[in-house]
Amino acid sequence: MVSVMNTIDTGHEDMIHDAQMDYYGVKLATCSSDRSVKIFDVRNGQQTFVTALTGHEGPVWQLAWAHPMFGNLLASCSYDRKVIIWKETNGKWDKLHEHSNHDSSVNSVSWAPHEFGLMLACGSSDGSISVISTTGDGAWDYKKIPDAHTIGCNAVSWAPAINPGALLDQSGGSRQNVVKRFVSGGCDNIVKIWREQDERWVEEQKLEAHSDWVRDVAWAPSIGLPKSIIASCSQDCRVIIWSNDGTSNNWTSKVLHKFNDVVWHVSWSVTGNILAVSGGDNKVSLWKETLENQWVCVSDVNKGQGQLTEGQSSEQMS
Amino acid sequence: METMAEREEEPEVTVINDPACSIGIKTTWGFGNQLFLFAGKETDKLSDPEGATGFKGATHIYEVVRDTDMHDPITRKLVNESHNIFLNLQKFEPESAGASKKPQLVKFSRNYRCVIRSCLQDLMAAVETSIEPQVKQKYEAQLQLFDLTELVWSLCEILFVDTLPGGVIVIKLLDWLRWHFTDGERQAQDAMKEDVPEENENYWQSVWSFVLQGRIDDARKMLSVHRSYDTPAFQSIDELLRKMPIFTSFTGQSLAEFDMKWRHWRDECRRRLEENEYATNKNLNTICRILSGDDDVFIELRDVCASWYHMMVSKLLYQDPTVKIHDLQYHTQSCINAFGGNSQLQPSDNILLAAIEFDIPQVINLSSTYKSNWWFVAHLTDLLQHCGQLESRTLHFGSNLREYLILEYASSLMSHDSLWQIGINYLDHCPEYGRQYLGHYMDSLPLDTERKAQKALRICEQRNLQEQGHSICKVMGMRSLHNGRLGSALSWGLKSKDVTFVTFIAERFLDEYTENGGFSNVDLIDNLGSEMLLSNRLTFLGKYREFHKLYEDGDFIAAASLLLSLLSSRMAPRKFWLTLLTDALPLLERDQVVFNSQQTYELMHCLEELNLAQRYSDKPTRDMPDDPKAAKGQTELEKEKSELMKLALARNLARAIVEEGSEI
Repeated sequence: MVSVMNTIDTGHEDMIHDAQMDYYGVKLATCSSDRSVKIFDVRNGQQTFVTALTGHEGPVWQLAWAHPMFGNLLASCSYDRKVIIWKETNGKWDKLHEHSNHDSSVNSVSWAPHEFGLMLACGSSDGSISVISTTGDGAWDYKKIPDAHTIGCNAVSWAPAINPGALLDQSGGSRQNVVKRFVSGGCDNIVKIWREQDERWVEEQKLEAHSDWVRDVAWAPSIGLPKSIIASCSQDCRVIIWSNDGTSNNWTSKVLHKFNDVVWHVSWSVTGNILAVSGGDNKVSLWKETLENQWVCVSDVNKGQGQLTEGQSSEQMS
Repeated sequence: METMAEREEEPEVTVINDPACSIGIKTTWGFGNQLFLFAGKETDKLSDPEGATGFKGATHIYEVVRDTDMHDPITRKLVNESHNIFLNLQKFEPESAGASKKPQLVKFSRNYRCVIRSCLQDLMAAVETSIEPQVKQKYEAQLQLFDLTELVWSLCEILFVDTLPGGVIVIKLLDWLRWHFTDGERQAQDAMKEDVPEENENYWQSVWSFVLQGRIDDARKMLSVHRSYDTPAFQSIDELLRKMPIFTSFTGQSLAEFDMKWRHWRDECRRRLEENEYATNKNLNTICRILSGDDDVFIELRDVCASWYHMMVSKLLYQDPTVKIHDLQYHTQSCINAFGGNSQLQPSDNILLAAIEFDIPQVINLSSTYKSNWWFVAHLTDLLQHCGQLESRTLHFGSNLREYLILEYASSLMSHDSLWQIGINYLDHCPEYGRQYLGHYMDSLPLDTERKAQKALRICEQRNLQEQGHSICKVMGMRSLHNGRLGSALSWGLKSKDVTFVTFIAERFLDEYTENGGFSNVDLIDNLGSEMLLSNRLTFLGKYREFHKLYEDGDFIAAASLLLSLLSSRMAPRKFWLTLLTDALPLLERDQVVFNSQQTYELMHCLEELNLAQRYSDKPTRDMPDDPKAAKGQTELEKEKSELMKLALARNLARAIVEEGSEI
């Protein structure tokens, strides 16, 4: 059963593009076409507006919270070609760093696993991907992957900082020397996997199965199986699950489902046991792999028809 | 599998009533099963950013949580209580193999059912007291769910846990019915309240119901209040009822003995029926037809039975009371047909049917798809596994069914403010993936309060999750530092034995002293104990604070020798030397000689080393502001201090030599 617990009125003046909860589960960041990023305190079912961050000059597409061991850091990317990293100090939010090395809209930002330090991947409509990092001394460095996806990159997502082959080692010491990897999807209908090698980012895999723009990619958290799983979704209305057995370089693909409309987003739950899919069919569906290795939809959240249905509380109308 | 396909067609649907969502819905994950939903759509971000503008109404975000069934105060009680039973069951090891195991496992099963029943009672009370229709509806739905849960659980207990040696089962099944079919009892109570009970429209229904459920004493009691009780027909039925043989395993009666008696009794029933002893009263005739095991009468009393399985048990009681457990499945179909055939079966009927057919995987499979009641399937499967009723084969996902279901159940608890701690204890008993799941949850557990962070850290420590523990300490330490709470930051650093962080915090304490001439969090520093040794800088901080205490207490000799040892052992950071030497000044100028000549020489040596270092380095030794003028001012102040020191040291040396000389 899925229950609506709370409704948050963001007061944005235009469409919301992203909403991300921080690691403490107390702050919700939202961004919108109204060019602003807003932060809400959402403790105990109450919502309090904290601040609005202004600085972008176009619709803000996506947000990402850094791991709290680096302090309260939020990255945002926008149509204005900029990536801004915001930092909270003593309750005050300020720009910490502005990355304006893209020639076109920046569509996606994603922080690397905290084991790799502060490192942010950004995908842009200029077709390139940049990876920004800092050693903590205030200086920021970036490496660019030019022509990662022709016409544009729509999404980036990091692989977990666990070497899929070394999972049985439970001492926790296996996270050293783990290869840094992330996946990206673009307007060239391709999903690509990138690996850091000798201080450079190289293309490790090119996954081709979609027949239209790839809208989103999501690398699943590892739960100890010696395999990697990636979900991708596309304008071609399909969601594809890619998997690698951890022993070879082969990735196999399996169509999760062909939807009635374009699919925009895919994301994994904390333990990777459920995939949330949303798209143009006005639906969010939750998918789970059964014991028989089948993917099934376990829950649907639909838009209403304007009237209350049974079991719905009236607060949803507000 | 067929059932999976069924589920695929009908996932649960939740509806968000926001007209803005007609442009599309987007979603992001929160913690655990929490999701955020909002109206939104994607456009071609490059060429058509305007496509994503002009939506003024689309400003709401909905927080939705999956699998919240167990988060209600009433069901929370169930979660807590069953948690204890679960943990005890995991510890349970039969003292000797074989026979002694069963009674204990039956006890575990009954404990679980006890918890379900108390939950049912709470839910019934909640249904009655809630005023708001939505709340009432919610509790009614839960009541229905847990009623079914109890029904299936108790049947499984009879079939798989509390198995009797002879396999005779009807008596147990009657107990099972009684708990779940209470209409007859209620009708009887209503009738008994009236002046003339038999005039109540449900009088006979309740009598039949008692007979069908094998509640012979209750049936006789009902008949005894009838005005015609003394007539021969009533007396005849009463006699039949009184003499009805009941098989129990406690009487020491053999099965064959019972069977003989029973056949004899039934022949008597049939004889009286044939001789039309009850021609005067068709209601009594119906009772006699039941006792004789007449097929048609059960169909006629379909409504009193209310369900195919009630009918099946009642029929068996009067047609085949010694039926064996594994033969039950041959008696289901005729009763199902009486209730409209297989097409009329509800999901709950299919679960019971699967149990009767001894298809345990199917019972679990169907139950887990039915309203995703993870609580039920996780606990039942675990119990059955302990009973040895489940082969623990490894499934595609990498572990067995028990673990799969426990992981699901634990996950459904993780998004709750307090139940997450219980979820963790369940993960502990998942040998394959429990630890990985735990790692993920601890990594992303919202540390919204200090207390929760402490709890989380303890959980990591107990389970040797070093990385997650370190991460929690680091997060909390950084947060304290950002909020200017150095003491708290230090204790988090100490907890994770993070040398770099502790050194950094110790520096900050020293900076604070240099700026304000005092320490905050004195208690913490005074009570560092052996933890002080974690970092040199922290050791220095602790020792330096000790020096201050000695000085305050007037123990100048000890204070002086500690100060000197901090300098001569080079434990003090160079930039702090001048501060230490300045601290020595008042000691040098006391009336009594505190530093002896040897110690004074050492102090002089330190001062000289400091001056030399300063002379050879372009950089000022202290944290210097960038402004060169200010830097110069500072150096001059330091020079002045250094001159003062030299003078004081020389004077002290003279006094010390004189004193030492006169001692000889």
